[in-house]
Amino acid sequence: GPLDLTSSKKDIPAGPQSALATARHIEDLSQIEYPQGIKSPSVELNANAKDKKFRYDREFLLQFMIICKEKPDHLPPLDVLGIEPVDQSSFAM
Amino acid sequence: QEVDMQAQADGIRTVFSDPSNFNVKHPLYSPWTLWFDSPATKGRNLPQTPMTSFPQTPIPQTPGAAAAGGWMDDIKRVITFDSVEEFWGLYNHIVPPSQLPQKANYYLFKEGIIPAWEDDANKNGGKWSIQLPKEKNRNNVDKMWLYTMLAAIGETFDPYLTSGEATEPHPQSLITGVIVSTRPQFYRLSIWTRLAPSGGGEEDKLRERIETVGRHFKTSVLGYAEGQKLAGPLATEVEFLSHKDSEKKGKAAKKIVV
Repeated sequence: GPLDLTSSKKDIPAGPQSALATARHIEDLSQIEYPQGIKSPSVELNANAKDKKFRYDREFLLQFMIICKEKPDHLPPLDVLGIEPVDQSSFAM
Repeated sequence: QEVDMQAQADGIRTVFSDPSNFNVKHPLYSPWTLWFDSPATKGRNLPQTPMTSFPQTPIPQTPGAAAAGGWMDDIKRVITFDSVEEFWGLYNHIVPPSQLPQKANYYLFKEGIIPAWEDDANKNGGKWSIQLPKEKNRNNVDKMWLYTMLAAIGETFDPYLTSGEATEPHPQSLITGVIVSTRPQFYRLSIWTRLAPSGGGEEDKLRERIETVGRHFKTSVLGYAEGQKLAGPLATEVEFLSHKDSEKKGKAAKKIVV
């Protein structure tokens, strides 16, 4: 009879999920220790924080800019949405 | 180092300690949705893209969404995110305002609130906005928009949240969303609020809360001095107008200026 190929399809592993997609939400901000040179989020802004409702100062947030380069995997193709940079040479004048 | 050993033992790895294999991320006070429109998106039916593993969240069918219906058809939902790390992943892959075509808008609103007056969260509110001449601000606008977004997602606009006056466990922020618009001759930045003072004497507290948002926007976010005059050709002050007053075109609108 014909070869049964169905079983060979079952074991294809899902690609490794990205850290961005799988990391869990921090529950308690005060438990987090940051590496030397990294500023912790403002304690004042989170004095009464409950249930992962955290507030972050700009200085803290800006530290992520050069580290978080990974594209979120649920970001649709931008050109499909019409989000395309205009031709920069048109600024030349 | 002792601290790192402890973190290791707890198995907590932030993006700072392990950029490719972190296992915790920083949750935002609220999830946010980025929307976009431009003349190029008008009337455009999006092709079906294969996003089977991440089905897009449908636009909530609230009465507000229905009321704003026709207009919302041309506004495209880009992405919803709820962590600092995802925000930066988005930021590092999207087109900044200085490179957008004319007549384009980014709308960053809290999840579940559509960027329209008609939404229940917006209908009693208003907006702080500033208009900036394009030529002079082409090099500033990207940073201004970034700082505006950071104050929004970081929830640092609304002083009430840390004033100690709030008695509820999760005090609701005044901010519903922020917008950047590109026009042929100027940029506009706006902060939308859930409430707007209507002028009654009992509303001093709300008015003060709204004004604090405006001052924070002008000085900390945009980098102007308090009291600095900004109005000029194609430029406005940082000014607040309720959506209800915006609708009454021509009538004397009660603007607040900081």
